[in-house]
Amino acid sequence: MTTHLTFDELAALMKSGAGVTVDPKVLEARTEATFADYGLDSLGLLGIVGELENRSGSPMPPDAEQSRTPHEFVGLINSVLTAGA
Amino acid sequence: MSSQGPRRAVVTGIGVVAPNGTSTEAFWKATQEGVSVLDRVSREGCGHLPLQVAGEVRGFDPGAVIEERYLVQTDRFTHFAMAAAGLALEDARLDAQSHGSPFALGVVTAAGSGGGEFGQRELQRLWGQGSRYVGPYQSIAWFYAASTGQISIRGGFKGPCGVVASDEAGGLDALAHAARNIRRGTDAVVVGAAEAPLAPYSIVCQLGYPDLSASGDPARAYLPFTSEACGFVPAEGGAMLVVEEESAARARGAAVRAVVAGHAATFTGASDWEKSRDGLAQAIRQALEEAQCAPEEVDVVFADALGVPEADRAEALAIADALGAWAGNVPVSAPKTGTGRAYCGAPVLDASAAVLAMEHGLVPPTPNVIDICHDIDLVTTRARPAELRTALVLSRGLMGSNAALVLRAGDGNPS
Repeated sequence: MTTHLTFDELAALMKSGAGVTVDPKVLEARTEATFADYGLDSLGLLGIVGELENRSGSPMPPDAEQSRTPHEFVGLINSVLTAGA
Repeated sequence: MSSQGPRRAVVTGIGVVAPNGTSTEAFWKATQEGVSVLDRVSREGCGHLPLQVAGEVRGFDPGAVIEERYLVQTDRFTHFAMAAAGLALEDARLDAQSHGSPFALGVVTAAGSGGGEFGQRELQRLWGQGSRYVGPYQSIAWFYAASTGQISIRGGFKGPCGVVASDEAGGLDALAHAARNIRRGTDAVVVGAAEAPLAPYSIVCQLGYPDLSASGDPARAYLPFTSEACGFVPAEGGAMLVVEEESAARARGAAVRAVVAGHAATFTGASDWEKSRDGLAQAIRQALEEAQCAPEEVDVVFADALGVPEADRAEALAIADALGAWAGNVPVSAPKTGTGRAYCGAPVLDASAAVLAMEHGLVPPTPNVIDICHDIDLVTTRARPAELRTALVLSRGLMGSNAALVLRAGDGNPS
């Protein structure tokens, strides 16, 4: 992951960081589903943000961990990663 | 907890994850057979430490009984507590969905040290990689209240929840707290304690206790009430019970396995075992008074059995002080000599053993212990058959707390 966060990568982060198993295709298809729907709590999302920051070496937007849905989150993260690339 | 009171707390479920068994059935079989599972410490990273013997829970696979999303955010002490709670709820056939009123169900645990293993891992990341590599779950996993919170979230229990941090005897204080919640209107409380003090960091924290056994011989490391007493052996694991309001339990057809009849706690200061004589005796008297129980009604005592000569003497004298002439007639047991002391988990394991002992009419023996040098009738070698209607469970903490719990036999009938 350097310049783009995919749903595959987000699913892997949800699994490794918060123990939540979700099919990346489902993640991508359900545009309105929230992190809570998948059983991911706010600390889990905070951990994913931290992991992304450590991998990219740059800070994520302060409201990244407030994202309600995976789609919102992926959009926000990619806007930063793309801008920084 | 008056027997005439309208709301009585009764035990309807028992779940055990202990060194001598990761189910209540396995625990009771090993306990009544007097099996000792004390062994050399085998946990990774502990081999160079001066603590040589402990009671480890081996063959426990948390992933087989707890969902992954809970596992990643919890320490081993919470894994034990969640697993034991699951067993207790299954035993009681109770869940929030079928109960219908999640606000009538609560959780209370006691904890002595929190999540040391999880904390050590995150602290190593802090000093090894930097603060950005410390995971957010560190904020909750190490915490004393973690097990209460996770059991509550997992089970959907939204009634009064709490954690008791009052030393090892907190295991008994948690049961008393659950009984109080029931008197105040809660239908059922999942209550108990489990500990995981055998990670390197956690062991180092205990090395300063002068009461810790330094023996390397599993058969001689923990011999309370004997002239060879050389301290206690720590253990991991614990037990959770389902305690319910009696009429609610009967209304849903649950078997009443025991009554939480009386409890009291006192404090006499850290490592001043001579003073614990008066403190423990006072706790026993008050617990009996609350239970409206005469000393002569006590059929068995589960001793604290610290394994430190002054502490053992104080406990034997406290039993004599509080029970008077009857002390000579009452069998005393300390099954924890076969498992070690799981801090707050230890008295809850004893309370579980007490309920099972009453149900089976058997006083379990005190493993490894043979020659007693105190004036108590300690049951050794093999279980002793006896009709048991009332059990007294004693506990003391290294920091000076003393507690006594009186349990009365239930009728075991669902209605």
